[in-house]
Amino acid sequence: MTALRERWHSASSAIGRRVDGLPKSARITGLLAFIAFLYVLPNKWFYEYLNIPGLWIPLYTTRNDMAAVLFYCAWIVLLSLGLNVVVGYAGLLDLGFFGFFAVGAYTVALLTSPESKLITQYNWLESPWPWLVTVPIAIALALLSGVLLGAPTLRLRGDYLAIVTLGFAEMIRIIAKNQDWIFNGDRGIPQVGHPPGKYADGTAIFQFEFKPYYWLLLTVIIIAVFLIRNLANSRVGRAWVAIREDEDAAELMGVPTFRFKLWAFAIGAAVGGLSGSLWAGQANFVNSSTFSLENSILVLAAVLLGGAGSIGGAILGGFLVIYIPEWLRSVGDVFGLPETATVFGNDFDVSPTSLRYFIFGILLIIVMIFRPQGLWPNRRRAAELKDRQKEVAVVE
Amino acid sequence: MLLEIDSLKLLYGRIEALHGISLHVDEGEIVALIGANGAGKTTTMKAISGLHAISGGSIKFEGTDVSRLRADLRVIRGIGQSPEGRGVFPGMTVLENLEMGAYTRRDKAEITKDLAMVFDLFPRLHERRKQAGGTLSGGEQQMLAVGRALMTRPKLLLLDEPSMGLAPKLIQQIFEIITRINEQGTTILLVEQNAQQALSRAHRGYVLETGRIVKEGTGQELLHDPAVKEAYLGVA
Repeated sequence: MTALRERWHSASSAIGRRVDGLPKSARITGLLAFIAFLYVLPNKWFYEYLNIPGLWIPLYTTRNDMAAVLFYCAWIVLLSLGLNVVVGYAGLLDLGFFGFFAVGAYTVALLTSPESKLITQYNWLESPWPWLVTVPIAIALALLSGVLLGAPTLRLRGDYLAIVTLGFAEMIRIIAKNQDWIFNGDRGIPQVGHPPGKYADGTAIFQFEFKPYYWLLLTVIIIAVFLIRNLANSRVGRAWVAIREDEDAAELMGVPTFRFKLWAFAIGAAVGGLSGSLWAGQANFVNSSTFSLENSILVLAAVLLGGAGSIGGAILGGFLVIYIPEWLRSVGDVFGLPETATVFGNDFDVSPTSLRYFIFGILLIIVMIFRPQGLWPNRRRAAELKDRQKEVAVVE
Repeated sequence: MLLEIDSLKLLYGRIEALHGISLHVDEGEIVALIGANGAGKTTTMKAISGLHAISGGSIKFEGTDVSRLRADLRVIRGIGQSPEGRGVFPGMTVLENLEMGAYTRRDKAEITKDLAMVFDLFPRLHERRKQAGGTLSGGEQQMLAVGRALMTRPKLLLLDEPSMGLAPKLIQQIFEIITRINEQGTTILLVEQNAQQALSRAHRGYVLETGRIVKEGTGQELLHDPAVKEAYLGVA
């Protein structure tokens, strides 16, 4: 097992070196080609031909609309990018990330839906606001809730913060479920506004089709990556690394640790809110069931699977946690696998469709055993992990 | 007086760890604080650097009370610390660790100069400058922690157990470097279990016992004090 691990390590780092060794122009061309690929990907005339003949594992199996799958992938990717700032850069374990997502989604829903109680019952608004106007408000409110939650709790360290954030997300969910006077409980808020934009023939671009939303999200992701990258390479980014690696030592270097932790937390919350407003614009309907704990955990799993502290990792992880289960959903059709198995006269459902989360869970465990630093780790994070393992070994 | 501590008290939860400590450090001195495990040496250091809040008394630095100041602001005032157990950033390279020491400074030319000074004091760090902090040996990490504290350009350098876990030859070497740093103009407050080395290098010293200062004097006085000899120098 160790030999296998070593080989995997040297192979993956060799690829990294080869990419690093390419001239800048080649790297940029490659990146642009990849981005162009992502933009054409949801088109049926394109993705249907992705299954290279002779390749053992088909890349595309889904019975669903590929654009829908890609939209959900992009949605989780954006959330992972936000959570990566909190967990990966500043090293703060945030288990309630979806709370901020909920704040964003509900803000947009309440302000843009004609069914919103702000309009039908309280006359606070005369008519629904356009979606685009509410997005900055949603981001601002998510950021504010991040600061309000972070200010008293970021003085806590490690496990305590995880518990507080977990509690926060559950609180938001339960408030959304029970405060009927404004949030409509489980019935939720329908007819949430869509993003603006019309085709040449006058029909709206953003309706129920997934493709335009995917393109919108992809564009937002590219902007977010650019901003987060710049931040990570700045003084702020260096302060985060120091805090994550040794908070006391960071303070002794003159880093105002509390302020930078709050920054990371607020930026993460803002990205969560943005993602919530985009999601609400597509879903057209918001109720409390979307904000369950599983989703917070899913995003955290995406960050850790990809490799905490690395933007590429967050993107890869966010993509895989959605794509793998969706891929498994219809892989049975491709290979003609049996749907049920009969053992001692009882029929068991063994189709990959039903077992997809089970298989996905096993895959996650395997990755974490062989590659605890994630699939596309940050160089520093990998070194930190090694250092921690050394400490554990000394204690034993 | 550069540092003046007056009846300092500190609580860990409900337990009082320091019961009113008074000490001072003059400019240009090396002062050693010696004592057994659990006497409160590291706690005193944390109180001075601001990593732990105090519950009574005062800490004056250059005449102004800094005892309510945040730790990062004390660094800007000129209190630099090399923490116990080294506390280097394991994922950063040696060079990045040292640059982190200059985090609050903007004077690029001076930073370059100080970097050269640190590499001059610790040639080993120069050899390893591209290596991750976590992969260094214990002695090298100790050097890095001291070098990094120097990069904050402190007026007062707090060294917490610089000899901890080092081989005898390295201990000798690190104390020689401490003397050199002091000769170049940095005032040093030193916490040590290795009382022999610390007292022979220090101008003055204090003996700490269960949260109280029980003795003070010049390094030589303490070195020849029968009680100190018996308790800390292993000589009957």
